[in-house]
Amino acid sequence: MKNKNQMEGSLLTRKDIDKAAWSYIFFAQATQNFERMMGLAFCHVMEPVLKKLYGEGTEEYQKALERHMQFYNTEPQLGALIPGITIAMEEARAKGENVSEELIVNTKNALMGPFAGIGDSMLIGTYSPILLSIAMGLCIQDGNPLGPVLFGVVWLVTIVALQWFLFHKGYDMGIGAANMFFTNKTLVEKITTGLTMMGLIVIGGVAATTVKAGIVYKYVNGDMTLSLQEQIFDKIMPGILPLLLTLAVWYLMDKKKWSATKIVLGIVVFAAVMVFLGIM
Amino acid sequence: MTFFQALLIGLFAYLGSKRTPWFFGVTGGWNMIGRPLVAGLIVGLVLGDVRNGVIAGAMVQALFIGQITPGGAMPADVNWAAYVGIPLALAAGGTGEQAVALSVPLSMLGLGLFNFIMTINAYFPHMGDKAAAKGDGRGIHRATYLAAVPSFILRAGSAMLLCYLGTPVAEMLINNMPAGMLHFFEVAGKMLPAIGFAMLLKQSLSKQWMLVLFLLGWVMIGATSMSVTALAIFATAVAIIFVMAQGSAPATVPAPQSTEEEDDCYEE
Repeated sequence: MKNKNQMEGSLLTRKDIDKAAWSYIFFAQATQNFERMMGLAFCHVMEPVLKKLYGEGTEEYQKALERHMQFYNTEPQLGALIPGITIAMEEARAKGENVSEELIVNTKNALMGPFAGIGDSMLIGTYSPILLSIAMGLCIQDGNPLGPVLFGVVWLVTIVALQWFLFHKGYDMGIGAANMFFTNKTLVEKITTGLTMMGLIVIGGVAATTVKAGIVYKYVNGDMTLSLQEQIFDKIMPGILPLLLTLAVWYLMDKKKWSATKIVLGIVVFAAVMVFLGIM
Repeated sequence: MTFFQALLIGLFAYLGSKRTPWFFGVTGGWNMIGRPLVAGLIVGLVLGDVRNGVIAGAMVQALFIGQITPGGAMPADVNWAAYVGIPLALAAGGTGEQAVALSVPLSMLGLGLFNFIMTINAYFPHMGDKAAAKGDGRGIHRATYLAAVPSFILRAGSAMLLCYLGTPVAEMLINNMPAGMLHFFEVAGKMLPAIGFAMLLKQSLSKQWMLVLFLLGWVMIGATSMSVTALAIFATAVAIIFVMAQGSAPATVPAPQSTEEEDDCYEE
């Protein structure tokens, strides 16, 4: 299978790809539902491209629509690479190259999982919290509108640019991108490990600034007052209680398979009991 | 709150919900307008109290920072917290603490609405299926556009009605809320962000030893006065050093294994 760049005469123009990229940026998540997640929107993005490649009314066109209606779910922003690759594969198929329907569907399915994982933890879990905590630092005391404005502008510009870049990169590299992903496991592994490590350290820091739990209970015995928080827990390590809380929640979710809703209720009940008893 | 103000807030609630294509899709909508921090500014502008709006936005944001929605499974509904909790608190004369107190229960109630929309929206792919079977491309687009309708009606409508009708209730609640109750919401609100981070940990920890990195980040910020930006640069350096050290090992395969074992020692 040849790389797209080595092929002469592509069927799609730069303008078609630009249009598809905008369509993806605006509509990727627009039809999200429990059954197909992003499936319908994906087909919506692909349709103009498929029409141009196969022609309206042909059987190929109809089959292509059906295969892009299937279940599809990833982190849409980092996942902008995937529709790019898919378009390149459809183009290769329309040119009569040996690209089967299964290969296209399987590539989408194989890529969506990893991109969901990395995208959620890098963009939503790391990048957004970094920007948010910088912005919150600017405005939580005095209500300076610069905080939210700064967050909004930086987030929007960088992430739209990232999606635009990834979408085009996916198309330019075509099946090569998919192949690279499947064959060059060590490189992919290295990138993922590096990003995960960076993310985890930053998440830890942001968590330390937002999760709070403190004991207000003071043990009084005659003249002696012992503040558990100041005289015991803060001496061990400031912020040890919220750290233990976060680790406990992680343990319950990851190892004991508690659902998020159950944890929310658990925390609310725990807080109610602690406040009622005058401990927290 | 006037009807017009409630209407505007309802519209922004829709623009900041998850299925809006209008403003750069999920990037400009859910992940930007939908963030409580940004909602605080917008609500502040609409209600004419930017300062308190921004403060309330930042305080409610802390509840939901780092919250991811893997597979659409959400721990709490940010949309109602941002576009019902903040405006009601402001309209009732409260600020940050009151916004948090209203946002915590609202975010849990809103989850029902989120799941309801996610469920009824499953109708539209079937419409798309029928169109695809006939090779009707326009039908696909029609189904995509129509999928925005229930989202718009339910998101904009619910936020608008709750803001408009809820103001007297919120005033009554906030003015009569016992100090203990307010304290309870404050305590619960400060512990709730742990869920977002725990979900991130669950998703990010490809190897168990990596938990030490989370602890490292926590201690760096918790025990020194380091800023998050400085920590991000430090974290990048650590990640690069690790990856480079792995890369310089002669054989590609044994290298990751050996480092893994080494780091296991640190964990114990």
